[in-house]
Amino acid sequence: MSNIIIKNVSKRFVSKEKTIKALDTINLDVEEGEFLCIVGPSGCGKTTLLRIIAGLDELTTGEISIDGRVVEGPGYDRGLVFQQYSLFPWRSVIENVAFGLEMKGLSEDKRYEIAEEYLKLVGLEGFKDCSPYELSGGMKQRVAIVRALANDPEVLLMDEPFAALDIQTRNLLQKELLKIWKDTRKTIVFITHNVDEAVFLGDRVVVMSARPGKIIKVFEINIERMRNRVGKDFLKIRGKILDILEKEIDIHISPRTYH
Amino acid sequence: MRKIIISLAVPITIITLWSFLTFLNFIPSFILPTPYVVIISFFELLVNGELFIHMFSTIIRITIGFLIASAIAIPIGIGIGWSKEIEALLNSVIQILRPIPPIAWIPFALLWFGIGLESEVFIIFIGAFFPILLNTIDGVKGVEKVFIETAYTLGADERQILSNVVLQASLPSIFTGLKIGIGVGFMSTIAAEMIAAKSGLGYLIMKAMRLIDTGDVIVGMLTIGVIGFVINYLFKKAEDRYILWRGKYA
Repeated sequence: MSNIIIKNVSKRFVSKEKTIKALDTINLDVEEGEFLCIVGPSGCGKTTLLRIIAGLDELTTGEISIDGRVVEGPGYDRGLVFQQYSLFPWRSVIENVAFGLEMKGLSEDKRYEIAEEYLKLVGLEGFKDCSPYELSGGMKQRVAIVRALANDPEVLLMDEPFAALDIQTRNLLQKELLKIWKDTRKTIVFITHNVDEAVFLGDRVVVMSARPGKIIKVFEINIERMRNRVGKDFLKIRGKILDILEKEIDIHISPRTYH
Repeated sequence: MRKIIISLAVPITIITLWSFLTFLNFIPSFILPTPYVVIISFFELLVNGELFIHMFSTIIRITIGFLIASAIAIPIGIGIGWSKEIEALLNSVIQILRPIPPIAWIPFALLWFGIGLESEVFIIFIGAFFPILLNTIDGVKGVEKVFIETAYTLGADERQILSNVVLQASLPSIFTGLKIGIGVGFMSTIAAEMIAAKSGLGYLIMKAMRLIDTGDVIVGMLTIGVIGFVINYLFKKAEDRYILWRGKYA
C-alpha cells in the first residue's frame, strides 16, 4: 500500500517580472514506513516539493495524497522539521514538544506526559525545563524532531535538518534518526544535498535535476543498516549519484560542491 | 565603589555650582531659587499633602490612559501586522493622525469631556496609542516565518497562531512600544495638566509659576523626573522577567 502519492506535480512561481518553473511533472510514490531521501542541486525545488507535501505551498498542477486523502493544507498527519532552528524561544523545551498537543486541546498533565516520553527517545528528558537557547545545535534539532513526532503523524518530512551541524554531530544524529525510525515506523521523506547522508539513511534515494526540478533517477539502497560509509557497495552507489549530480551542476554551472 | 563615586560626580558638581551661583546672588532668586528654598518647598508640599494629591492624580490618569491605549492598540496592531486587508483599511487614517501631537487634541478633549479626568485620560490615550500600535505592527511583521509555518505544521489554526506564536514572538517589540508609549503619555499628561486641569504635577508647576514660586516649580519638575525613572525601572524589571529570550533567537 502506498502512503504518499505524488501525481504529476508541477510548480510555477509567478511574479510581475518573470515566471519561474520550480518543479516539472513529479511522479513519486512513497511506501508506508519507507525512508525516502531526495537529493538534488541547490535550487532544484526539492524543498518546494517537501513544502507542498507539508501543505505550506500550493501546487500549480497535479495532486498529492496521503493514504488517499488529498493534501489541501498542513495537518496533524504530517510533521515537518526545518533546516533552520525553529524552536519557539519563549517556550521551554517540554513546552515546545507539547505545542501540537496543546493546540489539539490535550490537558497539561497529559501532554507533558507524552512530551516527556518523546524527550526520553532522544535522551533529553533532563533538559525539559531548559530554554531552547541553552541547547546546542544538535540538541535543538533533536527537540525539533520529537516535537514533530509528539503529534504522532503518519509522515515525517525533513528539510535538510542536519545541514547546520558539524560533521560529528550530523553523523550521530543520522544514527539516532534511524533508531527513531525503526522504533516508530514512520514514513520519512528526507531532503538533503549531502549524498553521503542520503545513501546512509534512505531505503531509496531520489535524484533530482537542476531547475526546473525533475526526477532523474531513483536508487534502491539494498545495504544492511547500520551502513558502513566506506563500504564497497556504499561508495559505489554514492559515486553513481555524485556523477549524475556533477553532470547536472556542470550543465547549469553552479559553484556548489558535493561530498 | 569607584562606579558610585563616578556616577555621583556630575550631580554633586551641578548642585555645588547651583548653590554657589544662587547663594552668592550671581543669579537672582526669582530666576533660579537656591537649593535651600527648593528643600523648604518640598517639605511644605509634603506636609500640607499637596504633593501627594497632585502626584496621585497624575499617576491615576497615566495608568488609566495607558491601559486603555494598550488594550486597544495591541489587538489593532496585531490585526494590521497580520492582515494586508486590515492594513490597507486603516493605514491612511493612522498615517495622518499619527503626526498630530497629543496636546493638539486638547481643544476637542475639553469640548468632548470638559476639564477633568476624562479629557486628561483621552490625551494620554492619544499619546500612548501610536507608539504602542506602531511597535506592535513592526513586531508582528518581523515574526520569523519559520515559527508561523512550524505552528501550522503542528496543527495550529490561525487563531491559535495569533495568540500562541505571533503575540509571543512580538512581545519584545510590543514591550518597546509600551515603554515609549508610557513615556510619551506621561509627557502629554504633564503638558495637558499645564493647560487644562485643576490637579496633577503639571498643574502644580503652572500654579507655582503664576505665583512666581520657583521652589515649587523645581519640586514639581524633580517629582516628574523621579516618577519617570520609577516607571522605566518597573518596565525594565517586567521585561527581564517575561522576555528573558529577547535577542536570543534559538
